[in-house]
Amino acid sequence: MKHALIRLVVLSAVLLGVPTARADSIRVGAAVSLKEAFGEIATLYKADTGETVEFVFGSSGQVAAQIKSGAPMDAFVSAAKKQFDDLVKDGLLDVETRHLVAGNELVLIVPAAAVKGGAVGGFDDLKKDAVAKIAVGEPKTVPAGQYAAQTLKALKLDDAVKGKIVFGANVRQVLAYVERGEVQAGIVYRTDAKESGDKVTIVATADAATHEAIIYPAAVLSKTEHGDAAGHFLDYLMSEKAVAVMRAKGFSIPTDPAPAAPAKPATP
Amino acid sequence: MSELWAASALSVRIAAVATLVTVLFGVPLAWAMARRKFPGRGILEAIILMPVVLPPTVVGYALLMLFGANGWIGRYLGGYSIAFRLEGAVLAAVVVALPMLYLPAKAGFAAVERELEDVATLMGANRWQTFWHVSVPLARRGLLSGIVLAFARALGEFGATVMVFGWQPGRVTLPISVYAQFEQGDLNTALPTVLVMAIAALGLVLVYNALASQRD
Repeated sequence: MKHALIRLVVLSAVLLGVPTARADSIRVGAAVSLKEAFGEIATLYKADTGETVEFVFGSSGQVAAQIKSGAPMDAFVSAAKKQFDDLVKDGLLDVETRHLVAGNELVLIVPAAAVKGGAVGGFDDLKKDAVAKIAVGEPKTVPAGQYAAQTLKALKLDDAVKGKIVFGANVRQVLAYVERGEVQAGIVYRTDAKESGDKVTIVATADAATHEAIIYPAAVLSKTEHGDAAGHFLDYLMSEKAVAVMRAKGFSIPTDPAPAAPAKPATP
Repeated sequence: MSELWAASALSVRIAAVATLVTVLFGVPLAWAMARRKFPGRGILEAIILMPVVLPPTVVGYALLMLFGANGWIGRYLGGYSIAFRLEGAVLAAVVVALPMLYLPAKAGFAAVERELEDVATLMGANRWQTFWHVSVPLARRGLLSGIVLAFARALGEFGATVMVFGWQPGRVTLPISVYAQFEQGDLNTALPTVLVMAIAALGLVLVYNALASQRD
């Protein structure tokens, strides 16, 4: 009996103690809208440098929350300024390594099957009764939802659509709701709609004046031991090869890739 | 505060309807399984009990595959989908609550002495009268504790519900509201919701225990 108990304890300790693989690769937390583009770029990067990059994808707010709670990551690529600035404020990002890796557009999509009926041809049609549910990202943590809320507000549609909103925990969940036809419309990035192929149709593009500029800031985490390796990857994102992938996926490339970074605090 | 009230009202409403549906299906089912032998009985019982061990996310996935807009059944329902609807949330709760009612109810029916049912039949009662006036009253402890457990399980259901009912601002159940507040990084604001659910769970378990230890 006593032996059995000891064995159980040893077995549990062994099971818990099995180290989870974390080899020499760097780990980048990134907005999920970058998933396919970054996957391709990582393959190119591996071929060029032999270095492996792992990604943790999620809504920018979720990834930022993970970084705040100490998840082991080396760099962060956000889909909006807000989540990025939050981490800067907490001193978790090395602002010296800040890059602006991409830009995007906000679009209104409908399930491809629904286009024939044509209930939704533009943002104003979201008011119609035929539109029962509209999927958007949860605006606090999902940048796409934050931009969508700004656009709906600017178009004075926020009251009319209030009871119709369904939140996605990230932009890809919003896309999935539209792909499956569970909602009549959704607001995502142009690149997400493109990635979805013929399952969804873009019916309108949000006027850039109705929301904050959609930009993807990136930086190395202040506390990482792989700072140099992570910095190399962020530099690689600005390389010709990587930029070609980003453009092919539908991202825009910011014209001034290195806007004046906030002045470095004087080190004593 | 009004949000907590709205979430409580929605949760209780869904759980109450789900419990009612579970009773309507589960009690006759438990009786039949306790009394009848038929081919496939073992498999049927395994299917009823599956949600006990299956992750609720798998239940949610299955419900969407069946009754979603493009589901195997949903696609023939002319654009009807259980997604984001109360019926969907009720259905999810019924699937996970059914085993909670089924097991004690079946045990209750199995413990009813067969002779008593036979006597009722000999005295001229038909099958329905025997069931309603003999079996059900004698099995009432199992039935009542099953109903309490089913309601408690339905009230706490999260995984399948969040997949089917989604996250609709202003229309969240208590468990979904905790998840929503966690996602938004407000663990502190979730505290009242968590307390309400903990107290409800404690109360329901106390009722269950009182029923289970009751002497005939």
